Amino acid sequence: MRQLLISLCFIIASITTAFAGEPAKSNPRSMTFPELRFEIPQAERVVLECGMPVYLLADPELPIINLSAMVRTGSVYEPAAKSGLAGLAGSVMRSGGAGGLSPEKMDDELEFMASAVESGIGADMGTVSLTSLTKNFSRTLRIFSDVLLRPDFSEKRVEIARKQMIEALRRQNDDPKEIGARELSKAIYAGHPLGVVPTFESVKAITRQDLLDFHRRFFRSDNTILAVSGDFEREAMLQELNTVFGRNEKAAPLVLPDIPQPAQLFTPEVLYGRKEVNQTVIRMGHLGITKDNPDLYAIRILDYILGGSFTSRLTMEIRTNQGLAYNVDSRFDVGRRFTGSFIAETETKAESTAKAIGLMKTIIAGITKEPVSDQELKSAKEFIINSFMFGFTSPASIVTQRARLEYYGYPADYLEKYRGNITRITKEDVLNAARKHLKPDAFKLVVVGDATKFDKPLASFGVVRELDLDLKQRVPQP
Amino acid sequence: MKKIWLIVVTLCLFSGTLHAAVLEEKVIEHTLGNGMKLLMVERHTSPTVSAWIRFRVGSVDERSNERGIAHLLEHMLFKGTTSLGTKDYAAEKPILDKIEQTAQLLAAEKVKRDKADQGKLAQLEKQLKTLEDEASKYVIKDEFFELYAKNGGVGYNAFTSRDGTTYLISLPANKLELWAAIESDRMQNAVLREFYTERSVVMEERRRSYDADPESKLWETFVASSFLAHPYGQPTIGWMSDIENLTRTKAEDFFHSYYGPHNAIVGIVGDIDPKATIAMVERYFGAIPPGKALPAVTAEEPKQGGERRIELVAEAEPTLIMGFHKPAILAADDYVFDVINMVLGSGRTSRLYKKLVIEKQIAADIGVFDAPGSRFPNLFVISANPRAPHSIKEVEQAIQDELELLKTEPVVERDLQRILNKIEFEEARRMGTNGGLARNLTEYEAIAGSWRYMVEYRRKVEKVTPADIQRVARQYFTRENRMIGFITKKGGEGK
Repeated sequence: MRQLLISLCFIIASITTAFAGEPAKSNPRSMTFPELRFEIPQAERVVLECGMPVYLLADPELPIINLSAMVRTGSVYEPAAKSGLAGLAGSVMRSGGAGGLSPEKMDDELEFMASAVESGIGADMGTVSLTSLTKNFSRTLRIFSDVLLRPDFSEKRVEIARKQMIEALRRQNDDPKEIGARELSKAIYAGHPLGVVPTFESVKAITRQDLLDFHRRFFRSDNTILAVSGDFEREAMLQELNTVFGRNEKAAPLVLPDIPQPAQLFTPEVLYGRKEVNQTVIRMGHLGITKDNPDLYAIRILDYILGGSFTSRLTMEIRTNQGLAYNVDSRFDVGRRFTGSFIAETETKAESTAKAIGLMKTIIAGITKEPVSDQELKSAKEFIINSFMFGFTSPASIVTQRARLEYYGYPADYLEKYRGNITRITKEDVLNAARKHLKPDAFKLVVVGDATKFDKPLASFGVVRELDLDLKQRVPQP
Repeated sequence: MKKIWLIVVTLCLFSGTLHAAVLEEKVIEHTLGNGMKLLMVERHTSPTVSAWIRFRVGSVDERSNERGIAHLLEHMLFKGTTSLGTKDYAAEKPILDKIEQTAQLLAAEKVKRDKADQGKLAQLEKQLKTLEDEASKYVIKDEFFELYAKNGGVGYNAFTSRDGTTYLISLPANKLELWAAIESDRMQNAVLREFYTERSVVMEERRRSYDADPESKLWETFVASSFLAHPYGQPTIGWMSDIENLTRTKAEDFFHSYYGPHNAIVGIVGDIDPKATIAMVERYFGAIPPGKALPAVTAEEPKQGGERRIELVAEAEPTLIMGFHKPAILAADDYVFDVINMVLGSGRTSRLYKKLVIEKQIAADIGVFDAPGSRFPNLFVISANPRAPHSIKEVEQAIQDELELLKTEPVVERDLQRILNKIEFEEARRMGTNGGLARNLTEYEAIAGSWRYMVEYRRKVEKVTPADIQRVARQYFTRENRMIGFITKKGGEGK
């Protein structure tokens, strides 16, 4: 029997009757709407015979199946001298062949079926994903499991991926926005693995054996969560997954080294990158919070009001009122395992650089001084609560969301309580959170542009350290 | 053995339930009396709906003294109407009129350049600032956004291209009427308030998207150099001096002429009742006057008649763009180009990827695409980033070699079948999101004359033969038809 979970999840008031017999046009300011009850879609959690949990949601709308694996790993586990190792491993897991299938044959077979298997490793998670037509799922699943558990890391493909990484390093200073983002992250996380970026030397130091070892250490069934959605029968899918992943083989116990949290240092810095451009890239910020912080919900509201929407204070003043920028925003990137960050950014013409920096700092400081207005609080809450359902618009987003919450160890009722937790936040909560977590005097400020055209010297914001953007000396010999 | 097992499992998984009908059977069409086209698809995966409005007006429709107006207007249409975005329009309007008079005087003085009266300029600028401050007392900033956001709307945005302009939003399904009320008001009663501040925002957008980003700057120069006569060459955002000289009066004229229902295509996809939706759209949009038809774009690009090479010296690593003029969408050869595109540039099995990235390792990546629009003859484009120490010249030669191969050796059956398999997958996948489907319906209705282009697409591509590919390659991939653009690193060793 087909599990039509999804159709049971939504109980939707009919909009048909509401429109019938209503000839008048309504005013958008005072318009009322028929009721819509939204219940959070559930995904079933089953543990496979090998011990791997899988979140399932069957939905026959499209003849397509999506599967993804989340693996507890990340670049935080790589040694600084081999920075780039995790990224390279994540890329070559897919590109380097797997389970004895050569890279060329894997590419050919997958693309002939119009199936996709992709892999990658980020700062604190590894993923392998599959998308295929239902009719090609079985074969694609076998390739997926080989990429996940048995990658071959072909020597030739390792070299190609390494050369591409080196080429990307050579190009890392071409776009001023890329310089700004990278240098701010390095400054905020200085001294922590999150602040280490690959260099020519570190990428050259990585060996194929390093990749094999790194993969073997983390990619195992007792360290992985699966999420599958789309056009399948529950029983047949579980049987297939059990067949492919088998039973847990005896392996050495999983060892995940403890990575400390970044040190809570809040010291201001001014970093300058020279580029002959007519517009300056401005980035500023410092450490933020983790998801476990009790101020999380106040921070979500603060974010919307300060720099997270088109009507935020930063956008309203710097873009809408003063026309100084096209893009201006700020956000708390809430850390899931490690302390996250607060970052504010804009780009403005060289001649208004200091003006824009000053305005941003003043506006951010402003929200630590006075409570937000009733209207601001109300708008933020309404947006967050009323748009909540957009987190659940496809079966794939529903299952991966559930798997992700388990992966990062969120409370089991996190989604169910989310809107209630937002509703309860007061103006005082927002002010307290702002005072606790925003320190404009301790911003790391990164400015990339042509200082000869700035309206005021950068030194007016602190002691300036110039970035060395000249990579020429470090270009590797062919 | 593997194969037999595979079939067994496939049978188990495939439940036999009929899949949701294909696109053709799901689209409901309705045309209003004023010409506005409504395309709908019902999807009940989530209680949400996406609504896209596509105007058949893009930067290709601008005259030379209007360059950038379609894009600036896209920004201005977020600023409200006679009833939204204002506390008191009757009091606001006279000040807006004075602002425009002042801005026109200022523009007239500025065009005198060196001979401009500096005192007069300063006085007019001061006056403009005073008037803008006065007008701002009446403004409710970004009220459209505020209304959509508090009702849970997401992805409220717009974009302008050579071919058209699109406004999009996704809403909880019970709030579609809010969209109808706001958008029908915007179509009739838009007020372009805060015009000159927004014009400064667009200048910042230009600096951010083109001036300060070497690859985009090369791209802009490359396209401009490819079209000497046809307006596809002009950047959608406009050159800086174009933006500086746009006025509210020009934007209002453009708006009132072309942004009516006659030029509008609406796509609504999601948790809707189509009958009720038609009634609602009729109620809000039905009485709006149709607006003018757009004048035809009559310019035709003359044959290039020789290779054109464009160099940009920049603080960036070398990059290469190669382009060939080709016909517009719907031309028989356009489908052949689509096949060539996939043979050369789609995925890890594509020829350019295999040859340049994997085998020769002279490029870090490659891209193949059509640009800058589809309504009119456009360009088949190949882009590549050379991998040091390999040069632009080496990469260019390797691409040429692959293009020559297309002329001499027929593409094999398996390559063509892979392309058809991919299209089959895409046909299924594109039904999977409200926004994506609304985008495709409105876009193809606008550029191909009907959304059914998508339905007929696979059949057209099936008919493309290896001989067609050879013929098209020989006809178009010639030196006389070739554009080359590249970045030379400033202070580098040269090329």
